[in-house]
Amino acid sequence: MASMSMSLHAVNHRLTNIPVKQLPSIASCLATSLSNCGELLSAPQNQKSKSESENAVQVHKLMTRLASLLQDKSPEGRWTAVVLVKAVVEAGQWEVLRGCEPFVRGLIGILAKPDPNSTKKMSIVALTRIFHLTYQYPTLVREITTPSLPSFITAALNLISVKPSSEPIRKLKPHTPFLEIVLNALGELIARHPTIFRPFSSQIHSILQVIIGSTSPTFPQTVLDSAERLFISLHHCAPKNTSGEEWRSACQMIIASIHGTADYVLRAIVEQWESLDPALRQASKPQNYSREVGDDGLDTLGLAGWHGLDSGVNRIVVLLQMLSTCLTTATASMVTIPIGSILDLASRLTAVVVPSNGRDVQANPQISRTEREHLFAELPRIHISCMKLLLSLVEALETGAVPLAQTILEQTLWVYRAEKFSQEVRVSAYDLIHALLTRMGPSLTKPGLSSLADMIRTSCHDLLPPAHEHSASAKASSDLKAKAKFNQTTVNADSFLNPGLKQARQSNALPFSGLQRAASGLLAAVLIHAPTEYLSPSLRAEIDRTIILTSNKHAMLASVSNPVPAVQGRGVNASIMPFLARSFPAEMEVEGLIRPRMPVLMNTPGISGFINTEEEEDEEEKEEEEDVPVTVAYTAPEHTGFLQPSSTPILHSDLMDTDVSDKPAAAQNKRSLVEDHKPLPPIRSSTEEAETDVQSKRPRVDSDITAVSSQPSLDRASPSTFTGTAAVSVPSPLTTVTSTPPPRVATVNAPSTGTVGGPLSSSAVAQTTPADAGEDDSDDDLPALNIDPDTEDEAEEEEDETMEG
Amino acid sequence: MLSECFIASTLTSGKVPASASLRDVGICLHEFQPSPNLRSTFKKSSTPANCLAVSPSHVYAAQAEKAIVHVYSREKGNQEAVIPFPERIRSIAIAGSKNGDVLVLGTEGGRLILWETCTGRQVATTASHLSPVTTLVVDLSDNFILSGSSDASIHVWSLIDILSFTKLPSGRDRQPPNSPIRTFSNHRAAITSVAVGHSSSRYNIAVSTAQDNTAIAWDYHTGRVLRTFLMPSSAVSLALDPVDRAFYVGYEDGSVQSVELYKAQSIQHPLHDLSLQSTPAQPSAEDKWSPPSADCGPAHSLSLSYDGMTLLSGHQNGKVLSWNVGRKKYASTVADYTHPVTNLLMLPLAGLSQPAHELKRVAHTIVKPRYDSTLSESSHAAGAVPADYTFSTHLLTSTSSKSTTTSERTNQFTEAFTHAFFPVSMIEEGLAELAAFNQPGASTAQLSPVVTQAANDEDLAAKDSHIASLENEIATLKKKATADNAARQLTTGEVTKLRSDLVNLHDYINELHQMQDQAQKQKVLRQARKEERETRKREAWFAAEKKGKKGDAVLRRMDAEETAQTSDSDDQNSDE
Repeated sequence: MASMSMSLHAVNHRLTNIPVKQLPSIASCLATSLSNCGELLSAPQNQKSKSESENAVQVHKLMTRLASLLQDKSPEGRWTAVVLVKAVVEAGQWEVLRGCEPFVRGLIGILAKPDPNSTKKMSIVALTRIFHLTYQYPTLVREITTPSLPSFITAALNLISVKPSSEPIRKLKPHTPFLEIVLNALGELIARHPTIFRPFSSQIHSILQVIIGSTSPTFPQTVLDSAERLFISLHHCAPKNTSGEEWRSACQMIIASIHGTADYVLRAIVEQWESLDPALRQASKPQNYSREVGDDGLDTLGLAGWHGLDSGVNRIVVLLQMLSTCLTTATASMVTIPIGSILDLASRLTAVVVPSNGRDVQANPQISRTEREHLFAELPRIHISCMKLLLSLVEALETGAVPLAQTILEQTLWVYRAEKFSQEVRVSAYDLIHALLTRMGPSLTKPGLSSLADMIRTSCHDLLPPAHEHSASAKASSDLKAKAKFNQTTVNADSFLNPGLKQARQSNALPFSGLQRAASGLLAAVLIHAPTEYLSPSLRAEIDRTIILTSNKHAMLASVSNPVPAVQGRGVNASIMPFLARSFPAEMEVEGLIRPRMPVLMNTPGISGFINTEEEEDEEEKEEEEDVPVTVAYTAPEHTGFLQPSSTPILHSDLMDTDVSDKPAAAQNKRSLVEDHKPLPPIRSSTEEAETDVQSKRPRVDSDITAVSSQPSLDRASPSTFTGTAAVSVPSPLTTVTSTPPPRVATVNAPSTGTVGGPLSSSAVAQTTPADAGEDDSDDDLPALNIDPDTEDEAEEEEDETMEG
Repeated sequence: MLSECFIASTLTSGKVPASASLRDVGICLHEFQPSPNLRSTFKKSSTPANCLAVSPSHVYAAQAEKAIVHVYSREKGNQEAVIPFPERIRSIAIAGSKNGDVLVLGTEGGRLILWETCTGRQVATTASHLSPVTTLVVDLSDNFILSGSSDASIHVWSLIDILSFTKLPSGRDRQPPNSPIRTFSNHRAAITSVAVGHSSSRYNIAVSTAQDNTAIAWDYHTGRVLRTFLMPSSAVSLALDPVDRAFYVGYEDGSVQSVELYKAQSIQHPLHDLSLQSTPAQPSAEDKWSPPSADCGPAHSLSLSYDGMTLLSGHQNGKVLSWNVGRKKYASTVADYTHPVTNLLMLPLAGLSQPAHELKRVAHTIVKPRYDSTLSESSHAAGAVPADYTFSTHLLTSTSSKSTTTSERTNQFTEAFTHAFFPVSMIEEGLAELAAFNQPGASTAQLSPVVTQAANDEDLAAKDSHIASLENEIATLKKKATADNAARQLTTGEVTKLRSDLVNLHDYINELHQMQDQAQKQKVLRQARKEERETRKREAWFAAEKKGKKGDAVLRRMDAEETAQTSDSDDQNSDE
């Protein structure tokens, strides 16, 4: 606090003593120290103590100085004041806001003064911020926002437009530098103060119409975006309870306007589409085919006419964007999204595609071929916007889009097949299919997924240009030599001289990051959501290859987590887990996947105990046996039922499980759950005699092993020695770990120590008696460190396979 | 603040609740943590088990012995609608857990009705169950519905396929539309409860209990049995651990039991261990967690807290008990609603910051179902979305689509807006502008950029054209200048040539002058000689005359001499 009052003092000193002309250069430093004094500025000012009152004096001094600076003669002074006002308001919150009425007046005054552009821009931002911050305090809204917001709106509108008459219409000033910032500011405020904006809504509307409707000098995309957003937000100003209606009519006017424009733009072909909406069916007007394509009159939205195909396409693109803005902008209340009309529109626009082999488009004979070709060249742009609109729809509706998903999927694939030559079309299609897959992926049927195969393959190629290309070209050239000697074709000589060149260039030629992002997103979505059993093996191999070569961690994780399901008659399916483990050995996800920390036990009370358990488990994995007493200490001495105590962690190998499990199943059809969890080899489960028999033989083995391993540690006994000494004959070579049980356990005669698993762990069986968990009081449980030999096998096989493929 | 609530619904019984606040109450919203107390209630409802569904905005309660569903608004806290259906509803579930857009209803007649609460569309399936559908769940991916019936079978339905306007291309045999995609019939008696695991992947599991004292964990994507559990008695209710490590069952006698799925220290996931799948496991009856008193009645419903450490059970005598999962025993009685507690749903934590789970839209009111006419006449415009299909909702957040590359540019405003004062770029821009402002001639310069800018802008077009014309002029002038240049170069060449000619001519003239001079000199000389000769002749004549000799003869002699002389001199001259 002391340092704060000190820096506040310093700020005041500098503000008053340094010549105004030199203030701008230190304004940034002053603002920084002011925003660090937030606690001081926002402190209530009615405190009694001396230091507090001293601070209050300083704050008051600062405010007065700032207010006078705002009225300063020099532009430097005003500029500095604007910067500092914003800093003070942000830092001081309510305490400053309540006294900021003079600031607001001064800032609005600046907008009318011949100040530099940056001063005005910053004033707009600062004012918007003040109005924004006051919103949560009704008293401040009444005192500050309500009186001054109208004058701010007028001043801001005056910056970008002129009001010629008393009519509520404004004319846009050309080339004004403030357009974007004013639109953003209004857009920020309109939703919160709809009633204050209501008188201005028609003025704003007239400006926005010009911006959105202008075709020849088009505005930058950012301006268009903010204008569209503000246009949609105008529905907030609608009188009571009609905002939803207003929104809906805006939506429908946009849709109608697109239909109207499309009537002209698509005139070069005969459309097969027929609207589902009876109102639209007879709507198309007769056209004059001899004129250049264009629309003279105002359309449904009141946008000006346009001429030329490019302008028409631009208009459609802008309107489609606006429609998707409708779906991504917050609304005032409940609205009714006309999904049917939107999909109807989308089906009209996507029905017309660039003709490709097998799919011809019926041409309109009255229109010249050049216009038709021009239209085909422009079609991808329309389709890109269309797919973006559908993407916004899917993202806005989430589960509500489920009934539409299949319809949209088919529309997208239709466009994609015809226009995949365009990168932009591919990007949009990948994004859209990605969004759809997350909704409906699991219920994809086999034909549904195979219709996506082409797209998946192309996305692989987008990430990684096919490598076999130049061998093919080499082959083609050799063919040429053989067949047609006379036919001298020019062959790229560089590709012969430097075989690596072509491929290198191709992979470098695609720095188009959007495409890469979309393609890798699609691949991951396919792996995660689509039913993997329906993916053809070759396609799956291609996906795996692509994601390995591009080191796509997310997709690789997805591939490992969704392995190819086993099919009868085929070998073991490979997993790309080794690649993942090699590429990202230090990543948490990979660690969690390969060495799962699945908490098996939940017998500690409360959340904290539970978390402790996990930590302990981690420790145990490092320190193995030393932790046993600790575990006993923290686990609650509860009657744990069938939770099996095992005082020694056992590296358990389960290769035998399949062999053995049938026998006990046959022997005893119903086993208790307890036994089930630690299937005992038939020898032991049969008679106690056999058990003792084993026991009599066991100690020798144990002593052998303890002799070898002085530490109580995990040890890998060689299969030969193991099978030689164990009573159980093991048919296959196995890696087994025998753990030397601590003597304490042996004396306690804790049941079931180390009996988990198959007969392999029988080395530890020596001290065990058949489990009777019911009477078991000790419930210390150590999680087993499970090392999965299957996975390793699989991994190696996968490696082989990928090498081959 | 973080708080955890549950919603419980009761079946009206003859008993009268002790407290006045619970009179006539059918559904209770109860805070469980941090301080257990009743938050709010909804009245006039009587729901049997599995007949309560909760969405973020609404509570749906199918009424016992009636063919109606009550809809309560959670925002307003009142009853919003009473929806009649053609058949009695025996179970309901919500699909689209985030927004709760689709309500799935299982009917007395064994079919499902799907009602899109935001559009009013209603789709019915085939009556594939032979008995009433008593339990319904929707999996986390919102793709599959599992319906259990008292005919001992569980059907798996594809939610997408039922709802989709365009039917999915099916690889299956010809089957009536809207029929189940799979049937699980390993149970031998009426299904009491079904639960699905908490995964959206295809390795998710389902657990079902039936009156034949079995509980089966199975894979609903394939219909494969993963594990069979022979329970000590018939389970009434079922809940699954949030991490799918265990499931909990409630029994007729009010006791509860946990069945852990991870027990064996197997290298494989125990459920996917083929060796164990054929063998049923038998949790022992002694492991049941016994209720505090014998008069609790059946545990109709079970629900787990967010952390999975506390189990809540609703009982016949109206009590809601909490059980400690770790200690495996009864912990406390949370509430007493007098009437049998038939449904118990734990609500997600309030106050947890989870951007991914934030609602992007909310439906304040539901759209009542209407009969979907397009479905019956499938021939008409097959698969098309009807034009009057609309979706009522309130969009909450302005999300800019991720694919817009222009977003960073628009962020200039938002960046400045949210900054503590102004971003560096803006400050620097301003400083530069101020510096430009202070150029010498400040007063005019001050005005010029701003004031004249507007003016400039307006007649910029005019200036443009002016500039164009000026440029044209310049071009022509340049052309002329080059032509001139060329011409000048040409003339200078000529002049130099003429000059040299002149010099030559001068030289020639000089030469001629010299020659003329010479010629004159010689002429004068000749004259002089001639005169001399004349004089000499005359003198000689005079002399001869004086001597008396004939002067003429002398003269003739002299002439002869002279011709010789002159010829000599002439020769000399010609030599010269």
